[in-house]
Amino acid sequence: MTMAPDMVRHLSGAAVSVELETPDMTLNIGPQHPSTHGVLRLVAKVDGERAFDVQPVIGYMHRGYEKLAEVRNYPQITALINRIDWVSGYANEIPFMVAAERLMGVEPPDRAQFIRLILTEMARISSHLIFQASYPLELGAATPLFFALRDRERVLDLIESVTGGRFHPNFNRIGGVKPAVGAGPVTRKTIQDLPAGFLSETRDAMDRVLSTADELEDLVAGNEIVLARTKDIGVIPPEVALSYGVSGPILRASGVPFDLRRVSDYLPYHLFDFEIPTGENGDCWDRWWVRLEEIRQSASIIRQAVDAIPSGPLQAKVPRIIKVPAGEIYVRAENPKGEMGYYVVSDGGLGPYRLKIRSASFSNISILPWVLEGTLVPDIIAILGSLDFVLGDVDR
Amino acid sequence: MADAEGSGEDNSLANRAAEAVGGLVLEALETAKVGVAADRWAEALRIARDDLGLSFFSWLSAVHWANDPQVGDPLSAEVTERFELLCAVSDVTAGELVVFSTDLEATDPTVDSLIDVYPGADWHERECREMFGINFAGHPRPENLYLPNGFVGYPLLKSFPLLSREVKPWPGEVDVEDMPEVAGGG
Repeated sequence: MTMAPDMVRHLSGAAVSVELETPDMTLNIGPQHPSTHGVLRLVAKVDGERAFDVQPVIGYMHRGYEKLAEVRNYPQITALINRIDWVSGYANEIPFMVAAERLMGVEPPDRAQFIRLILTEMARISSHLIFQASYPLELGAATPLFFALRDRERVLDLIESVTGGRFHPNFNRIGGVKPAVGAGPVTRKTIQDLPAGFLSETRDAMDRVLSTADELEDLVAGNEIVLARTKDIGVIPPEVALSYGVSGPILRASGVPFDLRRVSDYLPYHLFDFEIPTGENGDCWDRWWVRLEEIRQSASIIRQAVDAIPSGPLQAKVPRIIKVPAGEIYVRAENPKGEMGYYVVSDGGLGPYRLKIRSASFSNISILPWVLEGTLVPDIIAILGSLDFVLGDVDR
Repeated sequence: MADAEGSGEDNSLANRAAEAVGGLVLEALETAKVGVAADRWAEALRIARDDLGLSFFSWLSAVHWANDPQVGDPLSAEVTERFELLCAVSDVTAGELVVFSTDLEATDPTVDSLIDVYPGADWHERECREMFGINFAGHPRPENLYLPNGFVGYPLLKSFPLLSREVKPWPGEVDVEDMPEVAGGG
């Protein structure tokens, strides 16, 4: 069989262009792509199915909190910092409050510290459940979402019953905590406390969270597609993670057993038994597993705290007008996403002279160009999801 | 909790760090803070990483020390206008964290980039450059991170007005009641 001359010419032309000219294509992902968890944009150069020189473009959510904090007073800043990582808004408040309290020389009463600790761990569970919901979804498994969100709702209900807010509790006061109106007996403000039945409901909810963690493990851990998409994908060696400032579950998935709850005293974690789950390979799978295990550890901490919560006041004596003595302090906490810290520079005024906000997701995704170099395009989604960032926490 | 004990430990950490990098211990509450000369910035951090085991890069940022700010309250005492560059690094066993500090001139502040020591400094330095106008020599991509290209000004300077506040005064201002002199019931 012979080909028409023009057909031969056409085919040979195609072959030549394939061999000689393979220009890199620029692939733009986001900022409105569902897998980017908000307004992250990635500009990747792709050669066939491999991505090179991936540059994240951030800043679509930048709200300038560090500048705004300079015109707010200390109690007002709580409302801002709630909105940094809104998936675990409660946990954002703690290191800032502790920083202000230590500069003032105020120590919250034990009961207030226990309430802070319980709610912080609830925020961790709710944040990790969101991850357990969204990550399999990004890999194509929809079912875990329903299990995870159902129990996240229970946890959020508990947070709401104490603080009055699901996402932005704005609950901590310098020197203690202030339960919402409607929480506890409202006839006398002085005996406002945890709402009736909170402790027993928390026990029930933690039992359910633990059984849901088992269900999630059953659903996801045996799924061959999930395993194929996550095992040995997006490996971050520990020394690379450290030099990029990657913290939290991602660092622990890389095998570094570093948890600020162990080495820092911002909340009384030393009273409780818990383990620090670590991964072995630092791949997407380990990051998924570490977060699942941390849900179990948090539930265990909450159960211990509920059993041991002391009675007493919720608020230390502080002046009516909060003035923080001149000084500088850096307080950091183990937030669900990693190290969250505030460097407060006070000049003795009503507000800080400078507030540096160290957020976890910012440093965590700064590793993206490194970890995405040379990966397959579909793996970009798997790796992005496994880093579990929130754009508000990136941009601040 | 354990404040006194903690600060004792921190002080010894600050002393050790200052001795290793040839710097001075600076005052900060419960936080080890060490001042170094600007021309020894990158070297000091390299020593911190290699000899002190501070392998975890936490953050890098700056403070603009200036009189007559456009935002916030003025400082209680006059200062020489300058930038204080801060970099916090930590180890990951005991969680020892040291904040290194160096002073930079107010006009055309320039310092060596830390990217070769801690690659994670990349974004932090870009943020610092666009927010304060500090130049990091040797930074491969000194582009804006948050701000649009072509943005004029450095938003975190004390001389940079908070534009939303200029357009509309702080709405909370009208609601403020004078605090009673004597503390009443809660």
